[in-house]
Formats: sequence, structure tokens, C-alpha cells
Amino acid sequence: MSAVEGGPASGGLPPNKIIAIGVIGGLAGIYLTMLNQTLNTTIFSVMGGIGSIFAVVWGADAVRRVCSYGLGTGVPSIGMVALGMGVVAAIFGLVIPEYLYNSGIVRGDWILYLGPVISFIVAALIGLVIGVMSNKILNMNIPIMEKSMIEIAGAGSLVLMGLSASIAGSFAFNDAILPGVVSTGYIAIVFIGGAMTILHPFNANLGPDESQYRTLYVAVEKAALIMVIAGFASLTVIDAVSAAVTMLVGLLIFLVYFNKFMKSVHNEAYKVVGTGLLPTAEELG
Amino acid sequence: MIIDPISIALITLGGVLIGLGVHFIPVGGAPAAMAQATGVGTGTVQLAAGAGLTGLISAGFMYNFLATAPGGFGTSDFILVLASGAVGSMIMITVTMFIGQLVYVYCVGVPPVSAKVDTDPITGDRQDIYVSQGTEGHGVPTVSFVSGTIGGLFGGMGGSLIYVQLMQIGNAPSDPAIVALAGIFATGVFYVNAVLASYNIGGTIEGFHDPKFKRVPKAVISCLIASLLCAIIAVPIMGGVS
Repeated sequence: MSAVEGGPASGGLPPNKIIAIGVIGGLAGIYLTMLNQTLNTTIFSVMGGIGSIFAVVWGADAVRRVCSYGLGTGVPSIGMVALGMGVVAAIFGLVIPEYLYNSGIVRGDWILYLGPVISFIVAALIGLVIGVMSNKILNMNIPIMEKSMIEIAGAGSLVLMGLSASIAGSFAFNDAILPGVVSTGYIAIVFIGGAMTILHPFNANLGPDESQYRTLYVAVEKAALIMVIAGFASLTVIDAVSAAVTMLVGLLIFLVYFNKFMKSVHNEAYKVVGTGLLPTAEELG
Repeated sequence: MIIDPISIALITLGGVLIGLGVHFIPVGGAPAAMAQATGVGTGTVQLAAGAGLTGLISAGFMYNFLATAPGGFGTSDFILVLASGAVGSMIMITVTMFIGQLVYVYCVGVPPVSAKVDTDPITGDRQDIYVSQGTEGHGVPTVSFVSGTIGGLFGGMGGSLIYVQLMQIGNAPSDPAIVALAGIFATGVFYVNAVLASYNIGGTIEGFHDPKFKRVPKAVISCLIASLLCAIIAVPIMGGVS
């Protein structure tokens, strides 16, 4: 069941670079949806989706690094736990500033902009606790477990917030995400879809010839597909034009990266042959 | 914003029950998918989540029915919702095991047998001579089936306990926002606990007769800490939104 037993994953972009890309790209995408409110439009919802792509790349790379040690439970478990931790942290982080502001504890609307950062920090905290427990209590003995769990939880929360912001057009919880994403039930799609984007790339590519860039091509491609679905969901939440923009951008990114992935598969495979269709009864007889 | 210790304690208890329930479910993982290990051929998380989410749906239905009825939601109703969630989970996991069993017996052609014990602790049937060479048992023997049903009971009860408690804090049984929020939180906490428990058993377990079952205390401690953390976060949110 375990993926590839053994040592750390190697090759490609260094982890710290990807962490930087994920955190900065993810948060930037989420915050850029604020342009919607500034310019009184909804067209910038697409930025949330693009932010989630950066976060997915980071999450998928973290999954790749930790799963190279062999978890014993299969790769999907870690993707589900990412969004499990992420959803709790994300909603907490988005609710708290609004509560503090509305109840008058903090006067000054700067607190409202802190939501995604608080979510991210809370997610990292939950990830740290789970990672420490996995190693210390459950004796998993994976040297990078603590760090990876922090990364995976952080990426999970960013993916969730990014996709939610692209559906609702804003990361304000009570005004946008609660009625647009939670009440409508789209949160379930974001949850499972987001988990899929983080767990699937390594799950699909694992093996002795796994390479980082091929895994990350799948990550971008899957994240773009979920972005298309998020765009589709936002048809009923915000207006058709913004939804169409999100869908089109997502589709474009999907096509580009699916091509890249297919090219790399063709390059690295020993040989790619078509088997044709199954023979008909007459041909067999 | 309320931070109610009883709610936090109950949600934590729910999380621990989920972690405990996972240890009872016969999970064979990928080897079982090729009939080379005892249990159902998929991962812990998928099995536990399948059963747990079904339990959540049946508990949600029962909660909605009882909480919107005249007279409000009392203590006896609480137990009814938990029972409903537990039964929903148990039905889901037994159906999964039964259909899997049919495939193993009639399609793959292997006898349901455990490789961890010499005789089935429940039926007393001899096990070791039926294990194919090079495998770790196959199918779902009686003891694993019973164990899996108990797992469904704990998992479903734990999941619905979390859900009901969150709904009680939200205090608006027919508000879709509160229902969805409680549902997604229960799901999140469920996944965290199910995955922690599955890390504890290292992916595969046959049921309560498996030597790995002795690791349960570790999972209980981990799930306690993780659920407590999640509960401390979740309770103020449900209180804050409503």
C-alpha cells in the first residue's frame, strides 16, 4: 500500500522556493479579490482561483516530499487531512476578525483584512500539533513530518480560501462566503475538490521514475480544473461574466499544463504505443 | 461568542469515538483489493469517511426532524440522533463489507479467512489452513465483519455527536448556513481523526482480534488532543455566526 518506501524526494525546485511561491502566490491571489470591492466589480474573482493554483502546487510538493517516505496508508489520506485541518482553520480565521470588529472589541477596519493570514497561521498551528503527534505519539518516525504537516495544512487552508473567494467574489465571511459558498453547499465541492488537487498529483505519478516537474504539472492542471468548477459554481453566486472569466482562465491553464504533462510523459516513457480498439467478434472469429 | 466547556468536551469525545471506531473497521488497503489481505480493499480514510458521512446524513435528517418538531430538542432526542447516526454508519459499513465479501467469494474465489488468528474468536472456525500461501488472509471473516459493525457504531456515533453539538450551539436547526457549517466542520474533524487513527494502525487492520488493535491507547490520546484543538476552534465560530 505504501507508495515508495525509502528516503527523501530529490531533484527539481528546492522546497523553500516552492513554499515561497505557495504562500506568497496563494495569499496574493486571495487578497487580490479585494479589487472587486475597491473597483466595484466582480471580475477579479478569478484571482482567488489563480491563488489557489499556487497553493495547490505547494501542497502537492509537500505531499510529494512526505509521501516519499511511505506513510503506510496511501497518499489520499494526507490530502483529506489537509483540507480537514484547512477547513476548520480557514473558517475560524475568516470569522474571528469580523466578530472582533462587529462586537466593537477592535475598532478599526484593518482587522477585517487579516482574515486569510489568521486562517493560515491557525492552520499551521493545527498542522504542527498533528505532525508532532504523528511522530511522538504514533511513532511514524518520518523526519520531515512536522514541517510537512504545517505546510500541508497551510496549503489546504489557502486552497479552500482561494476557491471560496473565487466562487463568492470576496473573502468576507458573513457577507460573501457564508451565503455564497457555505449555505449553497459549494463548500463540499471545494473541500473534496481541493483535497483531490493536493493528493492526486503525487498519487498519480508516484513510482521509481517520479519527477518533480511532472507531478507539479499535474498539480497545476488539476487545480485549474477545480478552478473551472469553482467558476461554474459562481454562476449562481456572482454574475455570469465573472464566472465565465474564471472558467475560461481555468480551462486555458488546464489545456496548457495538460499538454505539458502529456509531453513529459511521452518524453520519459520508453515507448508510447497505441493499442487500437478492442477487436470485434468477427475479427476474433 | 461563547466558549462552552461542555460542548468542547462532547465534541472532543466525538473525535475520540471516531478514532476508536476506525480501529474496528477491517481495512485491507491495496493488498486486499487483490485479495491478498483480510479486509475490504480500500484505505481506512475512504472506508471510515464513507460510513461516517452516511452516519452524518442520517443523524442530520433525524436532528432536523426532532429539532423542528414542537417541544424542542431534549436529552432523549439527543440519544435518538446519536442512535440514528450510528445505525446509518453501521448499515453503510455492513453493506460495503457484504458486497465486498460477495466479490471475494464468488468472483475472486477465495474463502474469507483471517491470517492473524488460528481460530475465529467468534465462530471458533479454523482459519490458518485456509490462508493461501504468500497472502495475509482474504475476504471478511465473521470476526472482522462483527468488528467492522462495531466500528460503524462508534464512528457514526462520534460523527453525529460532533454535528449535533455544533448544531445546538448554532441554535438554528433550519438555517441552511448553520446546517452547512456544522456539517462541514463535523466532516473536517472526522477526517482529521480518521487519518490520525489510520496512521496509528499503519494502513491495515483486521479488527479487534488483530495484534495492532493494542495500539488503540495511542490513537485515543492523539485524537483527544487533535479533537480538543478543533473543538476549541469550532465552538466559538458556531457561537459567533449565529
